[in-house]
Amino acid sequence: MRISYAWIFNKRFKMLKQKCLQAIWQCSALIVLASLLAFSINYLRNERLHLFGNWAPEARLMDSSGKRLDISLPEAKKLFLQQSVVFIDARPQDDYEKGHIKRALCLPWNEVDRNFMEVTEDISPDTPIITYCDGETCELSHNLAIFLLDMGFSNVRILKNGWALWKEEDLPIESGSSTAGQG
Amino acid sequence: MERRRSSHRIRQFDCRTRLIRLIRIEYFQWSPLVGPTEKMDKKRTHLSRFLYYGARWILGGVFIYASYDKILHPAAFSKIIYNYQILPDGLINLTALVLPMLELIMGIFFWVGFWMPGSVMLSNILLVSYIGALILNLARGLDINCGCFSMSSGSSINVETILWDAAFLSLSVYLTVAVFGSENSRVLKQIHG
Repeated sequence: MRISYAWIFNKRFKMLKQKCLQAIWQCSALIVLASLLAFSINYLRNERLHLFGNWAPEARLMDSSGKRLDISLPEAKKLFLQQSVVFIDARPQDDYEKGHIKRALCLPWNEVDRNFMEVTEDISPDTPIITYCDGETCELSHNLAIFLLDMGFSNVRILKNGWALWKEEDLPIESGSSTAGQG
Repeated sequence: MERRRSSHRIRQFDCRTRLIRLIRIEYFQWSPLVGPTEKMDKKRTHLSRFLYYGARWILGGVFIYASYDKILHPAAFSKIIYNYQILPDGLINLTALVLPMLELIMGIFFWVGFWMPGSVMLSNILLVSYIGALILNLARGLDINCGCFSMSSGSSINVETILWDAAFLSLSVYLTVAVFGSENSRVLKQIHG
């Protein structure tokens, strides 16, 4: 057999090409296999995930009956000045103590089961409540609002990215745990 | 006549040794060689095999472990994908369903050694895109849940998660060299007949 550099490289190139083609069809087959398995398992699941979910901001901030839960900053400010609303901070207690909306109560989402009764005992079920946390993608206020609705409070709204917006507008804030309703 | 034959053999042998040396030099010295080179350097082959199987088992385990919580909680995973703000809305739920299953199958294939070229290529693509997504969101300053292994809210993205992903990527790249480079030894086999 005649061997030359060209022969070796040619052979290697051919084999590499063959292997790459093999890898490409295997990748496609893996994706198809995974999709089929995933869809079948999702179909058999009790709580199915919709294949094409509605992720528009309005849809995400709705309760189960389709009512919008979010509230705009001017509206929240108006209610705050009328003193007719209770703000509830859903962030962890450390963040609350560093600074929060004036007169806001502290009910961290991760300790909601423990502190819920204590924090909400003075609030009547039809009192307007606004939950807030910090950041565009923060889910804490949304989770807390759904939880409060489930617990029987009828007028719960969410101020999305509330803490950041409130600070930007230079609206009244305070720090410490004085109005936390808990230790 | 006899002398011509023997000189031809010497030339041929010389040529083969030079070519084999050439291939071995340009090859990663820790890559898993089989065939004639196994006889040449047993120690190195043992080490490379140990590394090859080690990398496969570690990466397989990582993918299976990562898929577990995501398969159990697809809704939580879809929220995490949404928070990354990279995919269009229409693809979020599809990704939340298919990606964990893909990781599970890849992990199992890594363990059993089935469809290695495809699995290795896909793991490279996935790990590079994970690292890209993490870097992008760190640069944006978004404080979001990583969703790498657990769906709980305690694991936000940081430099450490990127370094972990880079470590897994290096294992995956090593496997790529091992899987795609193993053609060299087949060429060697053909030379030796």
